[in-house]
Amino acid sequence: MQRRSFLSMIFAIIGSISLGSLAYPFLKYLAPPKAEIKAGKQTIRKSDVGDAKEILYQNTPAIIIDRPGKGLIALSRVCTHLGCLLDYDKQKKRLICPCHAGIFNLEGRVVSGPPPKSLTVIPLKVEGEDIVIG
Amino acid sequence: MWQKIREGLNLRIGLTDLVDSSLKEHRVPSDTNIFYTIGIVTLVAYFIMAVTGYFLLMYYVPHTDHAFSSVQNIMTNISFGWLIRMIHIVASNLMVALVFIHLISIFFMGNYKKPREITWLAGGLLLLVTLLFCLSGYLLPWSQRSYWATTIVTNIPTAFPVVGEYLANVLKGGEAISGVTLTRFFSLHVGFLPPVFMAIVGLHIFLVWRIGLSVPPFSKSAEEEKPWTEYSHTTYAESYPFYPHFFMKEVSMVMLLFAIIFFIISFFPTMFIPEAANTPADPFKTPADIKPEWYFLAPYQMMKLIPNKFFGISIQVIAIFTFLFWPFFDTGDEKNIIKRPALMGAFIILLSVWFALTFWGRYS
Ligand code: HEM
Ligand code: FES
Repeated sequence: MQRRSFLSMIFAIIGSISLGSLAYPFLKYLAPPKAEIKAGKQTIRKSDVGDAKEILYQNTPAIIIDRPGKGLIALSRVCTHLGCLLDYDKQKKRLICPCHAGIFNLEGRVVSGPPPKSLTVIPLKVEGEDIVIG
Repeated sequence: MWQKIREGLNLRIGLTDLVDSSLKEHRVPSDTNIFYTIGIVTLVAYFIMAVTGYFLLMYYVPHTDHAFSSVQNIMTNISFGWLIRMIHIVASNLMVALVFIHLISIFFMGNYKKPREITWLAGGLLLLVTLLFCLSGYLLPWSQRSYWATTIVTNIPTAFPVVGEYLANVLKGGEAISGVTLTRFFSLHVGFLPPVFMAIVGLHIFLVWRIGLSVPPFSKSAEEEKPWTEYSHTTYAESYPFYPHFFMKEVSMVMLLFAIIFFIISFFPTMFIPEAANTPADPFKTPADIKPEWYFLAPYQMMKLIPNKFFGISIQVIAIFTFLFWPFFDTGDEKNIIKRPALMGAFIILLSVWFALTFWGRYS
């Protein structure tokens, strides 16, 4: 190999390595800072819930539903398709997404539409007059 | 006085010579049609966006607590604020339409073929940058439409395994749309995208100027065209100077653009401002009628129809890449689409599907 082409090769390699190493801090800079998640459990009075109540659980919009004959369930309201918030349709016993018409049943499973997976079910316990979520 | 200034400039930078060699002696074919002016009209639309955008910047406040009210303030308190914002909104829609018309007409005339592949690629990138402008722009007023349209779009990458989740979070700057997202999109909209746009436009126009305007495939010059084997500025059977002939054509089309902008502002002021754009963002309520802008309706409707998220979005990514690199696939010599029924058919079907999806998305 000629000295000249050897030198330009070395230059090219060192140059790309130093440029490339700059990419790391820039990508890191773009990554989201860690969000603070509020402490695990949350308590709500049973009498406040009624048929259904929209709540905020660990920064995520969620809903507690009193299903006729099947008891309480807490579900995330974030549609698993592209993140719109579901509306509870009491008559049809469904959760309906206003964006691309995804439909979930009250167990959080997909009935129809584009959502790829079930809704996150949030653990829920009834303790006397209180409902404990999380 | 003009005489003096001109002489002074002639002495220093050879002005007359520059104008003569780059404008008057620059030849364009005499059988161009009206579509050859759309590129420049699009560029003017961009400058309208930039000027009105800088004026909006003077009162707009990029913060979740103030964004919506600062835009309302522009609309109702600031003298002629409504005019500046309306021009920005209407011109942005027209700019997208112009880019589409520009691309479709070039495709139809086969003018992306050798030696103009890179010009096409740069144009395709300009379409993407324009759409990014719109996307980042419409989060800024922090309305219901802003908030939820952006929620949907920033979640699109989650269809891809492994990197998808990370990518979506980088776009949003967190799990959900928040003040971080607003700041991010604001810097994209007014800081990053303009220089990127200018750089690509620079390349695009340099290539057009250096290679020379193409001729329509159905024209006399086209019959005499030889295969491109080495560089030389395109020659024509019949041509005239760029300035003043072609230049005047462009100026009249630019005037038409202004006329359309003011026509829409006067007679259809709410055309691009649906109800959800007049309601402040509410992160706990997705409005029922959330619809993307008309140019995103076709992909939006497709997403509704195709039940598999990964599949639905992959099709669109493949379509974008095919579109960007099309000249490198379609390398035959025949430019005239009328002599290529298969391509013509596919093209017409594609366009009709696009229109059908758009209308379906709009009225469903
Ligand atoms: C240097 C250029 C630009 C600057 C400084 C700028 C600045 C701004 C600002 C401050 C806003 C928020 C105020 C408002 O919502 O009315 C805005 C909104 C917007 N911009 Fe731009 N912009 C520029 C170029 C563009 C371009 C090229 C496009 C697309 C073709 C575009 C599309 C939009 C859209 C769709 C909105 C939302 C309009 C609305 O709903 O209010 N902008 N821009
Ligand atoms: S976001 Fe719910 S169906 Fe698309």
